[in-house]
Amino acid sequence: MNRQKGKSGQIYSLKSKVVRGIVSTILILYTGITLFVLGFTVLNSFKQKSELVTNLFGWPNKFVLDSYKTVFADGSIFRNFGNSLLLTLCGTALCVFLASMVAYGISRYDFKGKGALTAYFLIGMMVPMQVTVLPLFLIFQKLHLLNTLTGMILLYGSGISLSMFIFSRFFKTISKALEESAKLDGANDFTIYTRIILPVCKPVIFTVSLIVSVGYWNDFYLPMILLSKKAKYTLTLVIFNYLGQFVKRMDVSFAAVVITLVPVILLYCFFSNQMVEGITGGAVKG
Amino acid sequence: MKKKRKKKNYVYFILPGFLMYTVFIIIPIIYVIYLSVFDWSGLGAKVFVGLDNFVTLFTDNKIGPEFWHALLNNLKYMLCIWLIVTPLQFIMAYLFYIKIPAFKYIKFMVFMPYVISSTIVSFFATMIFNPNIGILNDVLKKLGLSQGSWFGDSHWAFAIFIIIVIWQSSGSGMMIFYSNLLDIPKEIMEASSIDGCNEMQRFKYILLPLSLPSCVSIIIMSTIWALSVFDLPYILVGSTGGVHSVLDFVNLVFYRYTFGSVLNGQTNYGFGAAISTLMLVVIVIVTSVQNKILSKFEYEN
Repeated sequence: MNRQKGKSGQIYSLKSKVVRGIVSTILILYTGITLFVLGFTVLNSFKQKSELVTNLFGWPNKFVLDSYKTVFADGSIFRNFGNSLLLTLCGTALCVFLASMVAYGISRYDFKGKGALTAYFLIGMMVPMQVTVLPLFLIFQKLHLLNTLTGMILLYGSGISLSMFIFSRFFKTISKALEESAKLDGANDFTIYTRIILPVCKPVIFTVSLIVSVGYWNDFYLPMILLSKKAKYTLTLVIFNYLGQFVKRMDVSFAAVVITLVPVILLYCFFSNQMVEGITGGAVKG
Repeated sequence: MKKKRKKKNYVYFILPGFLMYTVFIIIPIIYVIYLSVFDWSGLGAKVFVGLDNFVTLFTDNKIGPEFWHALLNNLKYMLCIWLIVTPLQFIMAYLFYIKIPAFKYIKFMVFMPYVISSTIVSFFATMIFNPNIGILNDVLKKLGLSQGSWFGDSHWAFAIFIIIVIWQSSGSGMMIFYSNLLDIPKEIMEASSIDGCNEMQRFKYILLPLSLPSCVSIIIMSTIWALSVFDLPYILVGSTGGVHSVLDFVNLVFYRYTFGSVLNGQTNYGFGAAISTLMLVVIVIVTSVQNKILSKFEYEN
């Protein structure tokens, strides 16, 4: 076994170790860009405001919490953080709930028009929000959902195409035996779904939730159009506003960027494999 | 018996999602097509104008050139993705596949920007390319080289934009390629080495052809992104596309005329809807071509 592994490792090797080393070094240097921008953003968030003007890229002379104090003193950042969190959590929960149910209904039952319905649900994957934002704006206006988090949550929750696609793929892989036996015990369909299917799906639910929630947390376009009231701003909109008056508000910008980044970077560090699974699971492969 | 028991319970599973999806995803698509044939400011009555909005888009003295210019920029961006970003993604996936040193770390870092919002990416870009405070000019100054104004320079802006896009979004396609390569059965690879295939031949005759289906779907996804790009250029250089409108894209034009009151000093939703409809048409064409190619692959397999 071990020998075989070593052998197949050799088959895939570039001709010389030197070439591999050089290529790898170049790429490691490239990843230095990411480390650099993340690192000095964190460092800068601990500098004094006056130091940012004179020493933007150096090591801080003194680590201070001034920027964070300024950001938190305003108080509104808590609300913005709350808005982002609420939209992300509720939008994701709704999306996962609806998508898993639809996927279950489509992949576990036989009925006429199944193919057409599947195609119908995949349209959303092809049409970007930029195309439909104007009618959405008008619909939101009519339903009094403009500038409400409720509206955004409903909208996020409705974008089920990709999640449904991943769920359907997964449902195809689990055996029907469990359901059949539960059915013989007299369980109804909904009980089977909540008691048997959902527990089995936990890893998929987690994967889908991860990629969906990262997308919602980072979304800029929809909140910008549909949430124009300051009280409803999400963190991305706050950063956008700081960027507009960057030089004046450099200190708070760094702090706000760090606050926005920390949750997603942490998620990524712990669950990067699951995230990748989500991305690749939603793509058509050979 | 089995059928009887299942009855029509699937309706209860599908209906909630179906209704929400229809209201917020499908109806807007139909609505935008409907709006595109009207002249309407959002208030008052809609005036039916037929295809006038589309004609204006292409032939009007003021909007025509603006729209064409933006559309060409989108196509330029799309070509850059096809010819630069996608091959880069594949090469990186290949390098991970052959397990170059530290490939796990590199993979982790290259994919990371995927979780970073475009507002923050623009923030980083400002830190690097801002002519006054950015580190790039700082370093050039220390080296005694001439400094640039980067996004303020029409020769540089587009190239820098592409570099940022590569940094931000090459991760997802790379991962799709990579997981696709891992799915290729080991037996094929081993058989090829027994047959005396060298590295280059294996790359050309096995890995590349077997990656084509995922390549098609990556290209389609990135094409849709390229056609609907908005966040980065808007945040980086503003709604007019920066100096000489180098970074003006169709969606920025859409934004200006729909939400930005540029056209005759007032908004015209019909006009914006026409732009959206055109984008929709292009996307439908692109995706149906993709489906044709993909189904051909399946057929051949």
